[in-house]
Amino acid sequence: MMDSGFDRRDFLKVMGWGGAAVALTGCGNTSVEDGRETVVSYSEPADYVIPSIGVYYNSTCAQCDASCSINGRVREGRVLKLEGNPDSTINRGKMCGLGQAGVQHHYNPDRVRQPLLRKGNQGEAITWEKAYALIAEKMKGVSGSEVAFLSGSVSGHLKVLLGNYLDSIGCKNHFVYEAIAPGVVRAANKKSYGVEMPRFSINKAKVVLSFGADFLGSWVSPVHFSQQYAEFRKGVNGQRGVLIQVEPKMTLTGANADRWLAIRPGTEGVLALGIINALGVAKGDVAELVKDYDRARVSNETGVPAGQIDKIAALLKLRSPSLVLAGSAAEGYVHGSQNAAAINLLNHVLGNVGKTVEITESVPFPQMAPATGSTAALKSLSDGLAAGKFKVLFSYAANPVYTSPSAMKVRESMGKAGFKVAFAHYLDETALEADLVLPLDSALEDWGTHVPEYLATCAQINIQQPLMEKLHPETRGMGDILLALLKQNRADEYKGYEDYYAYMRNALLKNKSALGGAKIDDETFWNETLSRGIIKLEGPTTNLASKTSVAGINLPEAAEENADYPMQLIPAVSASLRDGRHTNQPWLQESPDPLTTIVWDSWVEIHPKKAAEMHIVEGDIIEVTSRNGSIKAQAYLFPGIHPEAVSIPLGRGHEAMGRYAKGFGVNPFQIMDAVYDKGTGELAMNETRVKISKTGQRVIVVKDEGAVGGKQMGKKIAVRVSTDEVDLSEEV
Amino acid sequence: MSVNNLLENWSQFRHAHPVDDKPHDPYKWAMSIDLDTCTGCNACSVACYAENNLPVVGKEKFAHGQVMHWMRIERYWDEDGRDFPDQGAQFLPMMCQQCEAAPCETVCPVAATNHTADGLNSQIYNRCIGSRYCSANCPFKVRYFNWYDYPTTDNVWPAEMTQQLNPDVSVRGKGVMEKCTFCVQRLHAAKVAAKGEGRIVREGEVQTACQQVCPTNAISFGNLVDPEARVHQQWKAQQVELDKDEQEKDGEHGRSELRGYRILEELRPYPSVMYLERVRESAI
Repeated sequence: MMDSGFDRRDFLKVMGWGGAAVALTGCGNTSVEDGRETVVSYSEPADYVIPSIGVYYNSTCAQCDASCSINGRVREGRVLKLEGNPDSTINRGKMCGLGQAGVQHHYNPDRVRQPLLRKGNQGEAITWEKAYALIAEKMKGVSGSEVAFLSGSVSGHLKVLLGNYLDSIGCKNHFVYEAIAPGVVRAANKKSYGVEMPRFSINKAKVVLSFGADFLGSWVSPVHFSQQYAEFRKGVNGQRGVLIQVEPKMTLTGANADRWLAIRPGTEGVLALGIINALGVAKGDVAELVKDYDRARVSNETGVPAGQIDKIAALLKLRSPSLVLAGSAAEGYVHGSQNAAAINLLNHVLGNVGKTVEITESVPFPQMAPATGSTAALKSLSDGLAAGKFKVLFSYAANPVYTSPSAMKVRESMGKAGFKVAFAHYLDETALEADLVLPLDSALEDWGTHVPEYLATCAQINIQQPLMEKLHPETRGMGDILLALLKQNRADEYKGYEDYYAYMRNALLKNKSALGGAKIDDETFWNETLSRGIIKLEGPTTNLASKTSVAGINLPEAAEENADYPMQLIPAVSASLRDGRHTNQPWLQESPDPLTTIVWDSWVEIHPKKAAEMHIVEGDIIEVTSRNGSIKAQAYLFPGIHPEAVSIPLGRGHEAMGRYAKGFGVNPFQIMDAVYDKGTGELAMNETRVKISKTGQRVIVVKDEGAVGGKQMGKKIAVRVSTDEVDLSEEV
Repeated sequence: MSVNNLLENWSQFRHAHPVDDKPHDPYKWAMSIDLDTCTGCNACSVACYAENNLPVVGKEKFAHGQVMHWMRIERYWDEDGRDFPDQGAQFLPMMCQQCEAAPCETVCPVAATNHTADGLNSQIYNRCIGSRYCSANCPFKVRYFNWYDYPTTDNVWPAEMTQQLNPDVSVRGKGVMEKCTFCVQRLHAAKVAAKGEGRIVREGEVQTACQQVCPTNAISFGNLVDPEARVHQQWKAQQVELDKDEQEKDGEHGRSELRGYRILEELRPYPSVMYLERVRESAI
């Protein structure tokens, strides 16, 4: 500093004079003394900020589509922890691990912070003005039919804006894609019950028979179902609910079952018809349908002991109402629709429809209702791209390059679109293929409205509000981006909305009376809505079908042995990693898988008997080969799997995304066969046949249970008792 | 302190709590966990990471047994040699049992871990010298040692991630032992608030992070000496007594029709956590 001729003393003098100049303008008084400014001490800074006191704000969790209401603890302007909002009928104050890791999504060091434009293999940081101008330029001369918009599930005002944008460019190609959504079950439910997702009342059922529905872990609305499950277990008058889970690979729900049955993969429908047969109460065409499904045949095809089928039928007869659920494990086949239909038929036969399968309300604003995603949508997008139909591709909240089988060739097809825009939080596999990457606000920085697909007890609109200031100045909310894009085409119509917040606020206030705010002024309504975080509504209901047709239920003959590929690959959906979009959140990587206790890596589950046959021990690196490729991962000997199946969890094996995701584990999506359910066109996730071989390498499996696995060594540590040994009636 | 003095006056230095001259008044924090409703989902464990500034150690350190999960879910299979675990798995949330006669306390050379008046087994970080004797002596293996200085370790709390840290809880440095505190910062805040109103903390006014998040309400926590507290009622209904190493209800056969039990009770640490046995249907 001295060298440059700049003296510290001079510097302070200048500063001093600057300060004095301000003070002198008030005739000798400071601006504080003459009242033009006030000194506010930090002990009472801004509204609702009291140093050292946490304040809770309601918002909505965006980590999955269940749309739980959250309560974020904010201190000194920073969001610290997410808890559940007790007023929500969905999660009633509770949360899952995935939801809580939302703060690590927000504070993630690997978030995209600036718009990036492709320059060869590099992304060059550009301004938003330039990015918008580039989109406008690329859209010039491109007709609406040549634009494709890929997104995850969307609902609320974001869906409305997105629809309006697509409308403004004359585009009808909105592909809503979710990699692990229950697409087949939704379609089957629509046929069986008349609605895609009826309300399942686990708490009212005395017996729950679940065909691979992991409702405690990853299925539809797990936190809600977990609470119902707790009530179901407590039961009425000490009569505890009984859970029977049938699936080829034990899920978290299966691990909590009273009876877990390993079924031969794909034969779930056969067992369902076998149980109807064993019940012996069906009449007419149902009786006709099941007449050949006698216990010997069913037992032979499914591998479930005949005695067990009788026991299940007897229990279902004895304890009514019950509830039968068709889950992901049953739907992932070429005949998945058939399986789901056969399982749903059980609910009709048992008279559960109307008792535990109940009507659900829908939100009275159909334009805000969720657009639910499917894998069939990705297939048609991919086909369209491959045929060169689309010149411009937008991608939001989806990572198909990672979550689709490599046999679908999504990456290659994407290359045919001339201009690809990805709205992204991370530079994930799909964003890396894009020409322009636009950085999004985190869910804790953004505004939004969400309509849950699965409504618990009433129709509701969930409000998402920022829990803190933006961390990075150059990120934008998806709603703000859509609004900016809309203004490119319909400037007049949207000029009144400065940002998405203004749009959303205006839209809600306009419908104030329909939202329960008829008698209060705008400001009060708005503040109350934000502070509650939920708008509960009465919506229209659809009556459930009291009968279902059995036409079309036609289960295939037992599959023949395949000598080249003797095993079935069951990709497992884990409760915390799901389809891998949150793998870069370190709490989730270090949260042990509940069943294997493995962390930070992938593994291949194989039954100990099968492993012994093949001389495989824990930690052997084994190669799993399908017709479409192979992956290598450590073996884990797992008793909860059918001996003819192997299972690899989804969500790991990222090639990009960030420091906590990239390079950990393998991605089983890659080796899946691209085969589809005949009824719906959904990807048949469990249909891949594989062979396994040892590579000769071995590693130490990194897991929480210790090297030899959890053993109680004769001590009373985790105890289980049978219902006839305990008296539950006097419990608190 | 001479050895003679220690031996002669042993009962002054080591005794089970509570004792007649120092009863638990007005607080004795305790827990009960219903293993029949616990699903093993791990939400409690993540909540603990969020509340208590637990570092994520990464794969390599996890492999070395250096994971810092104060709350972990243990998973057990039946050991009966059958092909399939057809009655599911057994899950057990395990954290510091806040023993009334804690084996860890007596071996600490610097008294960094000791008993508080409200029945917690406390850990004083800035007194701890890292001998790790406490961990060696803990029958539940719920004490976790800072082998590294995690705040300065790569990718533990990089840049923005530090903003998530809970200011109510200190971030521990290298060489210090740590463990579940029953969310003592929450207890303290609740006690101060109640004291301001001249009363004691009422049932429901304070929740631990794991209890708050549990999707099935499997965890109850509260003041064991408050008859209004659910945890008091549960312990009473299950006839589990804090200061017994063998419960009367179990009789000669070592079991009863009541589900409440404490783990490793026979070692006489007098744990403050009661578990309720997992139940499985006999009719199927």
